[in-house]
Amino acid sequence: MVDSIGTLGYFPTWFISCYGKYQACVIMIAIDEDRLTETFSALANSTRRAILARLAEGAATVNELAEPFAMTLPAISKHIKVLERAGLVVRGQRAQYRPCALDGARLEEVSTWAEQYRAVWEASFDRMDDYLAQLQRQTKGRRTL
Amino acid sequence: MTNKASQDAVVIERTFDAPVDLIWQMWTDPERFKAWYGPDGAVIPVAKMDVRIGGSRLVCMEMSSPGGPTQMWFTGEYREVLENQRLVYTESMSDEHGNVSSPPGMGDGHPVTTEVRVELEDVGGRTKMLLTHAGIPGDSPGAAGWAMALDKLAAYVA
Repeated sequence: MVDSIGTLGYFPTWFISCYGKYQACVIMIAIDEDRLTETFSALANSTRRAILARLAEGAATVNELAEPFAMTLPAISKHIKVLERAGLVVRGQRAQYRPCALDGARLEEVSTWAEQYRAVWEASFDRMDDYLAQLQRQTKGRRTL
Repeated sequence: MTNKASQDAVVIERTFDAPVDLIWQMWTDPERFKAWYGPDGAVIPVAKMDVRIGGSRLVCMEMSSPGGPTQMWFTGEYREVLENQRLVYTESMSDEHGNVSSPPGMGDGHPVTTEVRVELEDVGGRTKMLLTHAGIPGDSPGAAGWAMALDKLAAYVA
């Protein structure tokens, strides 16, 4: 896991942002893809997502987290460890309770990554609007003839 | 036009002044698709679409750049095809033969796969479209709609 720009493993995700008439500008957004893969893997499990959803309401102990599931404590602990490794969950230091809490930073990274696509889609849908108007004008024109 | 920022996906809701079957064609008829898809300044010289569940797609995006035109290829597979209602497909960068590749700058194989979900609804002759573009965790390629389960988290981070 690397956390500085320019180091191996940290590569920019390409993103086309704007195009002038004669020149193109491509903005590169730096996202740690390895870390993103780790986050996505941790999220790719319904039990772990349920644990995160519960933690979104507030910190909880492993016992509390285990309650709604028909699972043994060790099994739940394993899931929590995966979330911890992915940086989605942090454990407190309070005696043997060590409550779990949600850490939103990684989820924000996922969000940033996803948001790259918004501008591209919005531009596309503007074009779809124009194209639809053009098609419907043609159809109307034919009808009146 | 409403934009919702979910934690895990781009969600765009938009209403078009056109009937639902025409919007469906925009997504599923290659000639129609080429006319609007892509960022400003990009053209789509190739769009191959086998629109049925499990069918593949291959799209080329070409952009003019100071160093000449740059081509990017994308491949994917249709996951859900419900005419005039719902279209779900995956997307990965690929070569011109549809072999999945890693984005530029990336060493060996972490292909980034995303899922595009288009939901259409007829609203008195107009069409409400809900677009969801989400990343797919590498080890759960079939987890369509997994993103939705994280809605609660969005509130936490917001």
